[in-house]
Amino acid sequence: MIDIKNIHVDIGEKSILKGVDLSLEKGKVHVLMGTNGSGKSTLTKAIVGHYDTTVTKGEIFYNNKNIVELSPEQRALEGIFLSFQNPIEIAGVNNAYFLRTALNAKERFDGKKETNAASFLRLMKKHVSQLGMHQDMLIRSLNDGFSGGEKKRNEILQMEVLQPDLILLDEIDSGLDIDALKAVADGINRMRDGERTFLIITHYRRILDYVTPDYVHILQDGQIVKSGGFELVDILESQGYQAIQKDI
Amino acid sequence: MIHIGKNTSSTIVSKGISAMKGQNTYRGLVKVSPRADKARNFSQCDSLLIGSECGAHTFPYLDSLNSSAQVEHEATTSKISDEQLMYLRQRGIGEEDAVSMIIHGFCKEVFAKLPMEFAVEAKELLNLTLEGSVG
Ligand SMILES: Nc1ncnc2c1ncn2[C@@H]1O[C@H](COP(=O)(O)OP(=O)(O)OP(=O)(O)O)[C@@H](O)[C@H]1O
Ligand SMILES: [Mg+2]
Repeated sequence: MIDIKNIHVDIGEKSILKGVDLSLEKGKVHVLMGTNGSGKSTLTKAIVGHYDTTVTKGEIFYNNKNIVELSPEQRALEGIFLSFQNPIEIAGVNNAYFLRTALNAKERFDGKKETNAASFLRLMKKHVSQLGMHQDMLIRSLNDGFSGGEKKRNEILQMEVLQPDLILLDEIDSGLDIDALKAVADGINRMRDGERTFLIITHYRRILDYVTPDYVHILQDGQIVKSGGFELVDILESQGYQAIQKDI
Repeated sequence: MIHIGKNTSSTIVSKGISAMKGQNTYRGLVKVSPRADKARNFSQCDSLLIGSECGAHTFPYLDSLNSSAQVEHEATTSKISDEQLMYLRQRGIGEEDAVSMIIHGFCKEVFAKLPMEFAVEAKELLNLTLEGSVG
């Protein structure tokens, strides 16, 4: 699905990723953990083509195509979705209108018929209540004045509406109350169909009790130092990062 | 805006958009005559900046000859940030469409009050003016 090969990424003048190799197997749930500042968000930003990041070396193959030169919107239309660590607020832009524009853009790209206003509204109502969101989240401005948890649910709403193939979730679980965590995890599990691929970035085991991962990867100082299964999470929870032996 | 009679009220909403090297200035006079007891005015000036080389300026003029009048002025300036555009583009919306989406959102309050035909016209005019204003 996605093959990251020896990627080096700078932010400004600073070298952040120093040769990351990571393959995400199609249909699987991968978890990425690592200390603060190790470069997890930077990796997701490089994958979606965020302007902060400059890829100085290496390749990112998505469906066997190097996407490093593609624009962010092209990557999104190809099916890559990033739930941002801190979703930005956009005053004045109606949430439902934004979602419909995004959905229609995707449908056009896929050569499908655009969902009309009435069926879109029905679809929204279903998703919003599934996620336990207030219906008025749809008529409000995009993330504007949303609480931390509401923003995260709104990211999951977008994921469910856009039905992407590669889903990057950057700390989707941080700041969530227990009900919100369950709602978000349910949303992820609904999308988990053996075809879609997930990369879940988290600091805590909590969300992984609801969404069972297939693989766990650990990023330290700009490199993947270890990959394995759920046992890595247990080691981290009990002993912290110093217990992780670097594999080379 | 000139208030002559008693208990009159008015609202001014100004929305200014500056792109590229544009400078946008609002100058508005609110005048309250001596007999306009309890006149009320509310003025709101919102400016939206696209890019970092443009600017917006607001000069409200108040000429009140009646002490019972209540005149308020509010001004805001916001900027379309790269981070906002990135968010929309990450959802598959092209850069120009993303800019136009934010601008239409900004103008919505005014457009909503225009009669239908004008609103359609104004929207099209806006799209035309915006072509090529980003990049
Ligand atoms: N816009 C920026 N300008 C300068 N430095 C940056 C910028 N963005 C990130 N960095 C730096 O890059 C490094 C990696 O940041 P990144 O956000 O990828 O870490 P992270 O692993 O996601 O951490 P956290 O767990 O705290 O979210 C940090 O040292 C950070 O300070
Ligand atoms: Mg981060």
